[in-house]
Amino acid sequence: MRRSAIIVGCSVALTGALASCSAPAATDAADTRKASKSGYLAASDASFEGTGPLTVQLDYDSVEAGGLDPQTAATARSWSIESLVYEPLVTVDPKFGIEPLLASSWKQPDATTYVFTLRKGVTFSNGRTLTTADVVGSLQRLLKSKAAYAAQLGPVKSVTATGPEEVTVELAKAYTPFLAALANTPAAILPMKEVDDGSLDLAKEMLGTGPFVVKNHKQDQYWNFTRNTAYRETKKVRVDDLKIEIVPQEAARLAALRNGSASFVNFNNIDSMDQLTGTRNAKVVSQANSDFYYLIQNSKNPDSTLADQKVRFALNSALNRTEIASVALGGQAQPTGVTPSVLPGACDPAKLPAATNKTADTAALKKAGTLRLAVYTSEPAVGQIAQVIQQQLAKSGVTVKIQKYDDTTYGARVFGAKPDFDLAIGWFAGYVDASMVSRWWNPVLAGFSGTFLNDDKTLDALIDKAAGEPEGTARTQTLAGLCARVDTAAQMLPLVTRPSVIGYRTDQVSPTLRAAEGYGNFLRDITSYTLPAAK
Amino acid sequence: MDHIRRLLGRTAAALLTLLGVSVLIFAAVRAMPGSYTDLVLGPLATRSEKAAAAARFGLDRPVAEQYLYWLRNAVQGDFGTSLAARTPVATEFGDRLPVTVTLTALALALTVLIGIPLGVYTGTRESGGRGGVPGRLVSAFGMSLPEFVLGSLVVFLFTRYSLGLTVGTYVPWSQDVLGSVGSLFLPACVLAVFCVAATARTTRDAVLGVLVEPHIAAAVARGEPKGSIVRHHVLRNAAVPVLTLVATLSAYLLGGTVIVERLFNVPGLGSYLVDGLDRRDYAVVQAGVLLAATVFITTNLLVDLVSGLIDPRIGTAGKRVAS
Repeated sequence: MRRSAIIVGCSVALTGALASCSAPAATDAADTRKASKSGYLAASDASFEGTGPLTVQLDYDSVEAGGLDPQTAATARSWSIESLVYEPLVTVDPKFGIEPLLASSWKQPDATTYVFTLRKGVTFSNGRTLTTADVVGSLQRLLKSKAAYAAQLGPVKSVTATGPEEVTVELAKAYTPFLAALANTPAAILPMKEVDDGSLDLAKEMLGTGPFVVKNHKQDQYWNFTRNTAYRETKKVRVDDLKIEIVPQEAARLAALRNGSASFVNFNNIDSMDQLTGTRNAKVVSQANSDFYYLIQNSKNPDSTLADQKVRFALNSALNRTEIASVALGGQAQPTGVTPSVLPGACDPAKLPAATNKTADTAALKKAGTLRLAVYTSEPAVGQIAQVIQQQLAKSGVTVKIQKYDDTTYGARVFGAKPDFDLAIGWFAGYVDASMVSRWWNPVLAGFSGTFLNDDKTLDALIDKAAGEPEGTARTQTLAGLCARVDTAAQMLPLVTRPSVIGYRTDQVSPTLRAAEGYGNFLRDITSYTLPAAK
Repeated sequence: MDHIRRLLGRTAAALLTLLGVSVLIFAAVRAMPGSYTDLVLGPLATRSEKAAAAARFGLDRPVAEQYLYWLRNAVQGDFGTSLAARTPVATEFGDRLPVTVTLTALALALTVLIGIPLGVYTGTRESGGRGGVPGRLVSAFGMSLPEFVLGSLVVFLFTRYSLGLTVGTYVPWSQDVLGSVGSLFLPACVLAVFCVAATARTTRDAVLGVLVEPHIAAAVARGEPKGSIVRHHVLRNAAVPVLTLVATLSAYLLGGTVIVERLFNVPGLGSYLVDGLDRRDYAVVQAGVLLAATVFITTNLLVDLVSGLIDPRIGTAGKRVAS
């Protein structure tokens, strides 16, 4: 026992000693500042004129109960991978504006009507031309489904073909995030003729209008894509074979980038940015996301001190989000309110009630007692955030015991029918409209949060108002009020944004990478990647 | 006749044990918190959505009914369908088993080729009073070093520095035989370290035990060369405990692949089983554990039979005592 302890200690010490030999980080702050101005972290180099294969390594594969059906896809990883094949009517620009994609344009004659004109010359990868029936059928299928994403489309009253290339969507009431919601993969346009005649099982096969088609897929091992020759801009796509390898070990992905066996990888540990330092031809960047980490304070357990709003708010006031971003996420994240701070119109987290509260409520903090903080183990940052929170609350005299669970156990303890936790850390996709994620703070709309979140009618009204108001000063004020209400109630607290760390080989690919992303899709601009000419 | 009766008795006991294992694992995976639908549908899914998914996969039926359905199919070689991959578990096992078997075989080869000679060398040295400290040190070091520590260290060193072998890139046999062995060499080494140490230690003890037997003294007195004594008398008599250990270790190695395959990104059964467990992919876990139990039980059964062949006294010991 003693011997093994010594050996473990030596191994750790050796690993640490070797790691400390690393040179400074491979990123630089000037790049980051430039990126925030241009909207891009990297722009593809036009002097790269080659075509060929590209190998991407990701940490985990898409796994969905609905298989490959994009409408039931619930995670950003599925959205990213499926976006290589499927396209929606509209898409998102680098500043989170909405741009046409399968629709060449749209009009909004009034607050509740959207008229889309379809792009000409769009075909599915089987060669069949996209029709209005595909658009109408796809959206109606999504709205009728039990998919969680269907609710994000808002109060859609009808979807009808109003011309040979025109589709009109009527809403029951104004809903500002409608276009933003349409811009994500679950709202992609499907080949409804093939779906309806039974020749295509969307759970097992993918057939879309996008730049790639699936050659083969082995769950948790790899995806092989090839260029879709029927894609309208197929000649512009330089990547003719795309291999996505699933490599769960962070060190193995690092090694692949170092030795060049992968050209583009993602990392889920912020420290990996430093590990690549000194590696020739490797660059690592941090892409901001609207996704953010949150801290749930279980307020529905009557036996818990967290049932008391004063205790929850006191704990919220004791948190320092800037420190969380700096320590747990290496400065690559930013504090946020319930409106993701990277999105236009978002509230300023520094002006929230808990952040501006100068006097600690010592009585409430004393009452808090010992709290159990549930985290899951698959994402290092979650554990790191938990540790920082533990230290911050310890300074206020509150003892936090961190409880680590595998993802499924965590899900059962936090989101199960009988929640068994005091505090819990998790993250939400932040989407591309500042009001979209806030619906999860309404337990009636969200469904899943009713077991640990008390319904607040005032907050519900603000969420509803923010969704319906047109862009402008009034909406910005509503969003600020919404943030303040969430912050004061302190039931489910937004903490900091959740960045994507991406590494690539500069000698193998010149990617286009946005400074910020709304749907976690770091492969979004893959059609514009350029490759060096073959040697 | 006795041998046949013994074989039948042991086989029946093995089948009963497997049935018990199947009941236990079926109950255990369902007793774990959370379910596949909770994980893949995520927190945003409504309760009705989760219920619909559970019904689609038959997870809403009574557990006993699920078990009997699964057992009936498993007996016919159908281990169900992976909820995550939507592919038959048997097919996936067919794809992954060769990878794990190759990895295990490589580790076992290293165990036998290094562990037994090291044990014999240490045993004969100690018997001659020349000390076997280096051999004992190697054994103690190897047995006290957990795989995840050694594996993590190896992964770090071989990914940080160019040391000739790559980590995380598995090459299938079909692509390149030598490349495949090369891609599994590091994980096999990590997997083998404990087994080499245990084998060396057991062999050393067995050799020391045999060397004090009267027939060894007689062989020495006859003037037989030392090499011949070791080959013809010591190894044969020391073989039974070593064989038993190596057989047990082969089952241990299969279990060890769970950690090593994850660390080195080897697409074998171990990583499949861990993914299945994480996702509560019941069919995968049940089939994986049943396979591991089958290997373990079958190996022990074979060892019993082979031990009887090497040393006929083993099979009849009970009878002699009784008579």
